[in-house]
Parts: sequence; structure tokens; C-alpha cells
Amino acid sequence: MHMADALISPAVGATLWAASAGIAACCARKIRQSGDDRMVPMMGVLGAFVFTAMMINFSIPGTGSSGHLGGGLLLAILLGPHAAFLVMASVLTIQALFFADGGLLALGCNVFNLGFFPAFIAYPWIYRPLARGDGSRAWMASMLAAVAGLQLGAFAVVLETKASGISALPFGPFVLLMQPIHLAIGLVEGIATAALVGFVSEARPEALAPVSTSHERRSRWYWLVAALLMGGLFSWFASERPDGLEWALAKVSGQSQTPSDGMHREAARLQQKTAFLPGYAFQTTEASRSGANAGASVSGIAGGLFTFSAATLIGVGLRRARRNGAK
Amino acid sequence: MTTPPSIELRDLCFAYPDGTRALRGVSLSVAQGESVAIVGGNGAGKSTLVQHLNGYLMATQGEVRVGGKPIARETVAQVRRAVGLVFQDPDDQLFMASVFDDVAFGPLNFGLSPEAVEKRATAALERVGMLHLRERPPHKLSAGEKRAVAIATVLAMSPEVLVMDEPSSNLDPCGRRRLIHLLRSFDHTKLIVSHDLELVVELCPRSILLDGGVIVADGPTVELFSNEALMLAHGLERPHILRHLHPHG
Amino acid sequence: MSMGPGNYIEVGRMDELSRMDSPLHRLDARAKGLTTLIFLIAVMSFGRYEVSALMPLFVYPFALTAWGNLPAGFLLRKVALAAPFALFVGIFNPFLDRETLSWIGSHPVSGGWLSFASILLRFALTVSAGLILLACTGIHRLCAGAAQLGLPRVFVVQLLFLYRYFFVIGEEGLRMVRSVEMRGSRSLGLRTYGSLIGHLLLRSIDRAQRIYRAMISRGFDGEVRVLRADAPGWKDAAFVAGWSAFFIAARVCNLSELVGNVVFNIL
Repeated sequence: MHMADALISPAVGATLWAASAGIAACCARKIRQSGDDRMVPMMGVLGAFVFTAMMINFSIPGTGSSGHLGGGLLLAILLGPHAAFLVMASVLTIQALFFADGGLLALGCNVFNLGFFPAFIAYPWIYRPLARGDGSRAWMASMLAAVAGLQLGAFAVVLETKASGISALPFGPFVLLMQPIHLAIGLVEGIATAALVGFVSEARPEALAPVSTSHERRSRWYWLVAALLMGGLFSWFASERPDGLEWALAKVSGQSQTPSDGMHREAARLQQKTAFLPGYAFQTTEASRSGANAGASVSGIAGGLFTFSAATLIGVGLRRARRNGAK
Repeated sequence: MTTPPSIELRDLCFAYPDGTRALRGVSLSVAQGESVAIVGGNGAGKSTLVQHLNGYLMATQGEVRVGGKPIARETVAQVRRAVGLVFQDPDDQLFMASVFDDVAFGPLNFGLSPEAVEKRATAALERVGMLHLRERPPHKLSAGEKRAVAIATVLAMSPEVLVMDEPSSNLDPCGRRRLIHLLRSFDHTKLIVSHDLELVVELCPRSILLDGGVIVADGPTVELFSNEALMLAHGLERPHILRHLHPHG
Repeated sequence: MSMGPGNYIEVGRMDELSRMDSPLHRLDARAKGLTTLIFLIAVMSFGRYEVSALMPLFVYPFALTAWGNLPAGFLLRKVALAAPFALFVGIFNPFLDRETLSWIGSHPVSGGWLSFASILLRFALTVSAGLILLACTGIHRLCAGAAQLGLPRVFVVQLLFLYRYFFVIGEEGLRMVRSVEMRGSRSLGLRTYGSLIGHLLLRSIDRAQRIYRAMISRGFDGEVRVLRADAPGWKDAAFVAGWSAFFIAARVCNLSELVGNVVFNIL
């Protein structure tokens, strides 16, 4: 599931951009250090392959629906985690640019959700330990790793959305909505990945040469710790500050929140946790209320329509002018 | 002093890691400026042979000499400048964003100045008649244009030897005709690997027939190709063009 | 995330748009990228219930579409196609946030509807800005610009390889799917899928190896060198400065409200 620009706040977008860019830089350095020139064309072509494979659907037996390859886990199996992360990042970049799947600022989120988890968590921690041997074990390993990778990714989407505070979806129901959907998607991806890995390991076993080194085994710990830290930070941010940006703006403008305010919010949060989907009213800070009132006043709406028409007219006028100029 | 042969193979043997012996003692010599074809059925060892000519594969036994120098780790970079390889599928060879970038790729790697690179790339594109396409992305070219540009990427390195793998594959008759004219205009030493025997008849006075990793025959093309029994025995047939030239041959 | 084979053609269409020539196309890739970034931040930093203040920002996509001679209908359709997730998440707002925040005449408007409308507007703005950036710059110049700004070269180079070979492997994939369809099956079963995609994967791996051979044949030593680079001029600076000033103005004061007030005063 791709995160969209429309749903995140600049703070969340920037944080995850920084995280993803940092990981990408680290991966790029790792690949340079490995000195394997072969990697660059292989990464590009496999990226093109994954991008193509995403367009090809297969029918899921007995359901009437269809699925397709996700790619992150497969890339990690074929290329190792570092290259896989970079390739996934470029597949997502192309999707963001060409199909507006996700957005440019949400790209950081998407790369993190769909690249980091499969490559640095699911692959080293689930796939590799389980996939020793072959046949059914490899199937199980791909399945579990794909599911785990996507579950983490889906959960990250929830946290990022909450921390941004643009959507009013409460945490609990949002999680209950996202996780089962992605359980299904994860199973499908697991099946597709396992089928492919099985095919390649039979037809061209040398293409699946193990990329592991003791060094990599050590580095998987760093990534796990980094993921946990990131997750902790975001959970806190998402739960304590339902409206991330307002909070940040209030901080900047020096309006500190009173402790009682925080207490109140904490209590309300507990209350929501105990009751499942209560008549949930979204809480907001005073600042955003007053802003909203101004924005939704009659003159605001009329002016909005007016400026929108003006924008359209400017566009049409410019086009005319250009056409005439070209003649 | 006589000039050394452009390419010389001495008892070249090669086995793949899985044990397949693709070449079993191939010896041949190609003089400077000569045009030689290498023909043979599928699996005869042609592409393995080609991969030895610029040091991508290293002989298990025997040696390859280019311009008199044996290919070794130290000379391989030099050899790659001297031997230009044109691949069967131009899509493999045109990997950059635009025609110009592709043609400039080789010269840039040799550390030439930007002006020199520009000059060389332009000259190479002009030579194959594709200068007007310099800003085009490779995926927007026709099969014939791709082939010509792929040749230009190699020409830009000013090689002494041109080695071509199935140069006429995927071309329509018109594009094929243009290719033949183009190749004929080069005075490089040429080694052409092809199933297109009629193209070989037009371009190469001499042919080498390979089968099972050894040279079966090496001689004048027309003579070789007219030997129906020999051709059939090695998975080939006498090209039609020779029936007109030598109806009783 | 799901895509149909039609998307293969769409990539080609965007590729063609980015190769057109217009004053907008000629601007420096970094200038356009930076302006887009400022635009996105401006849009995204508005409060959750903001609707009217977002309107003036539509000048940006509309003006650029016209200036770059881009097909508005095509871009609009792409924006609509990309909408599902934002709709999916946004549609809950009206049900969850029922408190009345505003009145249109005597009709109450809840916060949920306002924020839903706001999400849709943000969506239209951010998505169109991104598509326009690509359509008037092209992936190659964007990548070159990004590399000039310090993005890791390995990343940039393999992204360009991805793009180049999508046109080759995408076509191979489509051909394979078509041949399966021609034999009468309407959808791919898992077994057929596994072998079809598997073969495609093997062919891709082989191709990557051949490309590598082609690269080292021409002296590749691990570094991909490209000759050209954009050099920004005053036009680029003016482009960034002008639009940024407008974005900041639109962010700081509600231009719609201003315009509305003026109109009402005149009336």
C-alpha cells in the first residue's frame, strides 16, 4: 500500500526521507566497497524485471481474485539486502514519478515501508535462517518472510498516518483494517516469491549464490536495532501527538502545552483503547479549530471557488498565448 | 619487418565450470585487414570463441594473441580497445540514456578530454550515418538504427579489429542491405560470426567452419560453401546465392 | 500498487512528453525539482481542515501545464487513477469527525467533510505537481540533477538502467503474457505464472550478464561517466524565486479569503 503525499505531514515526510536516504547512502557505500562491477547492470535489469512482474497478475486459486509479485523479498534473495533496498527504492521512485503511486515527499515513507522491512528485517531474520535446505522449507520461509515484511510495512503506514494527523482514522480500527488486508497480500507475495525462487534454483542454481558473509550477519543486528528505535519513536509520536504538525508548529511558535492538557489527552486515549470503536470524535488543538473556522467561512469558500476559476483561466490563457506565439 | 597477424589463436581450449568442453584446440590466424567469417551450427563453439577475443573468457589451455601480443591480465584493457565487439542484440550494447551517451561511453572510459570524446562520438555516428539520432533514447530506434548505433559505439573506440556476432539478425532486407554496404566500407580486420551465409559470401572471402569446438574447414568462402556434403554434415546448407554464381558447383 | 499492461504504454507516453521542447522543458532540472519540493511542503503544511486557502495553489499546476504544452486531459486522468489510497483513508473522516465546524448558508459542515475535501485537494495538487515535474523534465535529466546534488551514483546509475531496460523487459513480458492468452487462458494460474515469470527472470539475469560484458568491452571500470551537465542560468533562478514567493504568500495568508472579501465588499 503506497503512502500518499496528501496523507502525511511535512515533518513525517522529511523524517522518513532522511531515514531512507541515510539507508540508501549506506547501501550504496556497501556496494561500492564490495567492488563487484557486475552489480550495477544486474540491479538495474532486475529492477526492470520486478517493475514488469508487478504488471503481470496471476489468479489466486479458489478466490477469483488476482495477485502479483511485490518484489522486495525476491530482490533480497537474489541480490542481498543492500542492493535489494536500492533497487526497491528505484522501483518505487519510478512508480511515484510515472504513476503518482505514492508521492514525492511520501517516497521516503514508501521506500522505508516496502524496501527496508523486506530487505533488512524479513530477509536476514526470517528467510535466511529458515530457508536452509530446500523444497518445502524454502516455501515456508518465503511465505513467512513475505508476510512479516508486509505486516511491518502496513503497520508503519498506520504509524506514519497517525503521526501526520491528516486522516481522522483512529489507531485501533486502522490497524485492524490494514493488517488483515496485508496478511492476504503477504501470502500471495510469499507464494509468488517461493514459486520463482523454486524455479530459478532448479533452472539456474548459480544465480542464487549465497551473498551472506559473517559481516552481514553482524550488520543485521544494527538494522534490527535501528528498526526498533524508529518504531518506538514513531509509536510514541503517533500516540502522544495525534496531530504531529500542529504540535510541531505550536512548539515552534512557543505555545507550550500545559501538563493538564497532556494528561487529559492521555486519559482520552486510554478511554478509546478500552472501548472498541467508540463514537469517536477527533481531537484537535484550539489552533487548528480557529484556522478551520476562518478557512471555511462563506467568504473563504466563495473566494476559493473564485481563485480556482482564476487559476484555470490563467492556465487556459497561457496555453492560448503559447499557441499563438508558436504560429 | 612483417606485421604480426591481427588475431592469432594457438591451440585454444576452453571448458566451462560445469565441465562442458566448448573449444578443443582451435588454431587460426587472421591477417591485418582480412575479412573472415566463422560459421557453424548451434553449439559449435562460436560464441565461446568470440568471448575469448577480448579477454572476457580466458583460455584454459593455449593462447590468444591480438596484434602479436598474448592476452593476459595485464594486457586485457589494451586488447579491449583494439578489439571492438558488436553484440548480437543491440539492446545489450545500448544501455545508456541516449545514442550520444552510448557512443561516448567507451571514449570516456579511456580518459579522453571532453572535446576529444565529443569529436570521436560525432565522427563515429557520422560514419554509420546516424548523427541525426544523437539525442534519441535507444528504445526509440528501429532495429536497423540500433544496429548501426551499436557499431558506432565500437567505432568510437578506434579499434583495429571488428568482431561481429550475427550482425544481420532482426534486420529487414533493406536494413540488411544497408548494413552490408556499411561493413564493406570499413577497412578494419573483420571477424563475422553468422548464420546468414549469403551475407558472408558478400563480405568475407575466407570462412572458417566450426563444429564441436574444433575447426572442420578453413578456406575460401565460395569453395567451402559450395561443398554441399561438408555443409550438410555440419548443420548448414549451401546458400542460394551460390546456386546462381556456380550453378554446377 | 496493481498495474495493468496499459501502464507499459503510459510510461512510454510520459517519456515522450518529457522529450518535447518548451521554455519549461528547457529549465534546469534542479530548479524545477526544488520548486516542486517547496510547493509540496507548502501544500502539506496546511492545517487539516484547510480548504479555501489551497485553491490559489492550483495556479501552479495549471500554469505549468499550459506553459509546458502538456496535455491536461491526460494528466488529469493520471491524477484520477492514482487516487484510491487517499480516498480509502480520507473517506473515513466524514464518519469519524462529525462536529460541525462551519456553515454554508444554513447548512452545517462537519470537520470530517472539510478534512476529506482538504485531503482530496492536497492529493490533486501534490500528484499533479509530481507528474508535471516528470513530464517537463524527463527521468534522465532528473537523475542527472539528483546526481549533481549528491545522490549516490550507484543508485542513480542503476535507476537509469532500470528505466532503460523496462522498455526491453516490459515488452518481453507483455509478449509472453500475450502468447499465453493466445492459447486461450484468460488468467494465469499459479503454475503457468511461475514458469512464465521464472523464464522472464532467467532471461533478465542473462541479459544483465550480457550488458556487463558489453560494458567491460568498452572499458567499464566500475564508474559510469556521462559528459553533459545542466548549468543553471538566471531564468532558472527566477523560476524558483518567483514561484516560491507565491507559495509562501499563499501559505501565509489565505488568498482565497482575501479575494472573497474584496469581491463581497465590491458587491
